[in-house]
Amino acid sequence: MSDLEIVRTIVTEFPFALFGSMVAGVLCAYLGVYVVSKRVVFVGATLTQVAVTGIAFSHLPLIGVEPLFGSMVFTLAATILFAQLLRSKVIPRDSVLGASYVVAIALRILMIQKSPAAEVSEIEAILKGDILFVTANQFYLLLGVFLVILILHLVFFKAFIFVSFDAETASTQGFRAQWWELFFYLTVGVAVSVATRIVGDVFVFGFLVIPAVTAILIARNVRNVFLLSVLFGAIPPILGLYLAFKLDFPAGPTTVAAAFLLLLASWIAGKFR
Amino acid sequence: MNQTSPPPLIEARSVDLGYGKKRILSGISFTIHSGDFIGIVGPNGSGKTTLLRAILGILRPLAGEIILGGGSGERQHVGYVPQRDTIDQIMPFTVYDVVMMGRFGKLGPVRLPSEEDGRKVREALKHVDIENLTGMAFKELSGGQKQRALIARALASEPKILILDEPTNGMDLASRSAIMELIKRLHSVDGLTVILVSHLLSDVATYVQRIILVEQGLFLMGAVDDILTEDNLSKLYNVPVSVGEFLGNKVILAGPRHV
Repeated sequence: MSDLEIVRTIVTEFPFALFGSMVAGVLCAYLGVYVVSKRVVFVGATLTQVAVTGIAFSHLPLIGVEPLFGSMVFTLAATILFAQLLRSKVIPRDSVLGASYVVAIALRILMIQKSPAAEVSEIEAILKGDILFVTANQFYLLLGVFLVILILHLVFFKAFIFVSFDAETASTQGFRAQWWELFFYLTVGVAVSVATRIVGDVFVFGFLVIPAVTAILIARNVRNVFLLSVLFGAIPPILGLYLAFKLDFPAGPTTVAAAFLLLLASWIAGKFR
Repeated sequence: MNQTSPPPLIEARSVDLGYGKKRILSGISFTIHSGDFIGIVGPNGSGKTTLLRAILGILRPLAGEIILGGGSGERQHVGYVPQRDTIDQIMPFTVYDVVMMGRFGKLGPVRLPSEEDGRKVREALKHVDIENLTGMAFKELSGGQKQRALIARALASEPKILILDEPTNGMDLASRSAIMELIKRLHSVDGLTVILVSHLLSDVATYVQRIILVEQGLFLMGAVDDILTEDNLSKLYNVPVSVGEFLGNKVILAGPRHV
C-alpha cells in the first residue's frame, strides 16, 4: 500500500479512529500539564488501571452493565478516595497509589477469569490499545466530554492554576484548595474513564504524561506550555495511525511511541538551543 | 468619655492546634494588634508552621477559637508569603504571572484580571525593587529574587497583615539582610502588621517588636528582651544558649558563655 493510499484509507475508512484519538490525545495532553506539574503522574497510571477494572467488572455475568458506566463509577470512586487519601500525613502518597494500582490490576485479572470469553476479548483489545474501531457514538461522546471539560477548565483557569502552583497561598486568598483539587481530579477521572474505554489504557496514560513533558521542555511561558502540549497531543495520533498501517503495528502503542519520538526530538533540540 | 481601643486584628482564645488526634500546641491565647511586628520562633518541628496555618485560617483549631479582623473574618486582608520550596518549580511562570496571583483572591475564580489589576501588580513589583524581572521565569530566579517576587505577590493583594514563613531560609548573608530590611521597611514605612516565622533567632530578634516562642508544651509571648533570655532558650533547645549584643543587634549563640 502506498503512502497516499494509507492516508486515504485512514481518512475514509477510519475517520472516527483518527479524530477520536486526536480528541483523546488533546484532552489527556491538556489535563496532563496539571498532572505533570503537580507531580501526580502515578495518579494517571492508577486511574487508567482502575478504569479498565471497571470495564472488566461491567462484563461479569451477574453484573452486565454498560462498560462505560462501570469504568466511570470505578474511576470516580477512586478519584474521590484519592482526593482524601493523598492529603493524609500518615500514609505516603506513593504508597496509596502503588497499592491502588496493583489492587486494580489484581481485581481485573480475577474478574477476567470469571467473564465470558467474548467479553474477555473486548477487555484485551482495550489493554492492547486497538484504537482503529472507534465508533461514531464513542467519538461524539468523547467530543462532548472534551468540550465540557475544556469549558470548565477555561472558566476556572485561574483557580486551577493558582491551586496547582501554590495550594496553601490559594487557600489564604479564599480558594478552598481541597475542593478545587477534588474538582480537578473529578475532571481527570471523567476524562480517563471515557478515554480509556475508547482508546485504551496505554494511550491514555501515555498522553497524560508525554505531551506535557515535551511542552514543558521547550515552552518559555505557561500559555505556550498548554498550547504546545495540546499540539503534541494532536499530532502523534496522526503519525501513529499512519505508522501502524505502514508497519502493521497495533495503533494505540504506536501512537504512544510517536509521542515519545516528539519528546526525544524536543529534548535533543533543547540540548542544542 | 469612654474610649475603646480598636479590636485586635487576630485573637486566639484557649486554642489547641494539631492534626487528627495529635495535639501540637495546647491552650494558647494571644492577641495581635494593628502595627505589630511579631516573630514566631522555635526549634524545627515545634509547631511554628502549625500556628501559622491556624492564624492564616487554613487549619481549624481542635479547640478554642481564632478570631480574625475583629470578628469580621476577612481573610483577603492577609498577604501570605510561603516557604519558597513549597511551590511548583516545574511550570515556566513569569514573575508577572506569579505576582498577578496575588490579585486572584479579589477577582474570585471566574473574573479576568483588568488593567487596574495589572497596574497593582506593576506597583507591587516596583515596591520590592524587581520591576526589571517582570518577564523572567520565576523558577530561574535566585533565592532572594524569588522571595521578593513572593512578597510582591502578597502586596498585590493589598493586605493589612503580612505573614511570612521562613523568608530568609537558605539565603546567603547579603540576601538575608536585604530581605529583612525590606520586611522592616514594609512594617515601618508602609505600616503593615507583620508576622514572621523563622528558626534564625538572631534575624528575628534584631527586627521584630514582640516574639512568640513555641515548643511542644511551651508557649511564650512578649517583648524580645523578656522572651529571648538565656534561660528560656536553653530550656527550649536543650543546650546552653548565650544571648548578647553586638553593634546594636542581638546575637544568640549555642554553647556556654566564654568571658
